[in-house]
Amino acid sequence: MMERTTFHRSLPAIALALLFAATLFVAFVEVDFGEPRIEEELPVNYQPGEEIDTENITTPGLRYLANSSEETGSANLVTAVVVNYRGFDTLGEVTILFLAATGVGALLSFIKDDDEKKKKKILPPSLILNKGARLVLPLIILFGVYVFLHGHLSPGGGFQGGVIIASGMLLFYIAEPTKGASHKVISIIESTAGLAFIGLGIVGLMTASKIFLANDFAGDWGEVGMLVSAGLLPLIYIAIGFKVGSEMTGLVEKMRGDGS
Amino acid sequence: MIAINVIIGMVLIIIGLSFQVLGALGLIRLPDVYNRLQAATKSITLGAISIAIGVGVMDPTLLTKAILVAVFLLITNPISSHAIARGAYRSGVPLWKGSVVDKYGPALERKEREVKE
Repeated sequence: MMERTTFHRSLPAIALALLFAATLFVAFVEVDFGEPRIEEELPVNYQPGEEIDTENITTPGLRYLANSSEETGSANLVTAVVVNYRGFDTLGEVTILFLAATGVGALLSFIKDDDEKKKKKILPPSLILNKGARLVLPLIILFGVYVFLHGHLSPGGGFQGGVIIASGMLLFYIAEPTKGASHKVISIIESTAGLAFIGLGIVGLMTASKIFLANDFAGDWGEVGMLVSAGLLPLIYIAIGFKVGSEMTGLVEKMRGDGS
Repeated sequence: MIAINVIIGMVLIIIGLSFQVLGALGLIRLPDVYNRLQAATKSITLGAISIAIGVGVMDPTLLTKAILVAVFLLITNPISSHAIARGAYRSGVPLWKGSVVDKYGPALERKEREVKE
């Protein structure tokens, strides 16, 4: 009996999803997304550091491998692709993350925490957990900052660093259930970081290439592999790091329940 | 001739791996949460630290990082397992029926009585 009612309730949602999928299909079935650019298989036996025959590059992957450090100044190829070549997609990803966090907040706001008894039942954390978290928390935040500051040099980047910072904040919430970062501060940091990302994109519009999110300062300061290098990429990753970190912290805060 | 530090490092890694295997085995075989936590913390912590230090001994350029990893594991692993065990006990996960001693329960009751008085 229960199952049937829940199924009935989810029918409109399923119908809506199908309708949406059909609309997307009809809209995009005719769109020409361009010729396939990959003419050959990527060489399976490519070794890092191997010379690439720049004369006859056949695939986008080989093109990035051959030119990324010169064009973007980034030692990390993944960052070069994510923030430089596919920067606009990354803006979309950040937007999706923002929408997801907002959606979770909206869903959780339907749950009313009307019973004060439940709040009182939250156990105070033990001394060991409290002191241990205080010891470890700065290290975790430092590590998160390191990961997004060095996004153009080593594996990791804004998203990963932001999530590490948010996990540190989760530890803080476990260790100090009564305290919490102010909701206002979190959203101010989040919006500022988002605006900074778009502002850095507009810098690309104003400089030589006149393209949104173009990285025109790639070779202007520092050398490949130095902390200050790669033009705007580190700045963009710092903005993403702050944005993802504050967003995820806000998410954790909403899940904890006494926010809003 | 293999360098002496490589041999020491390999021995450390082998010790670490055997502890990891035993810990994983205990995680599957032991009867309840608290027993499993024993396997998942004590032997896994020793195993991971042993592997990290072994790698550091084999390649001395990594030794500083390995020691940092070991210190971090030594801080975090006991704290997290303590928090899990405490949370499990307080939320009423029962002890295995063959358990012979439970000192936390009486201590909790005593504390609650003290608070009431």
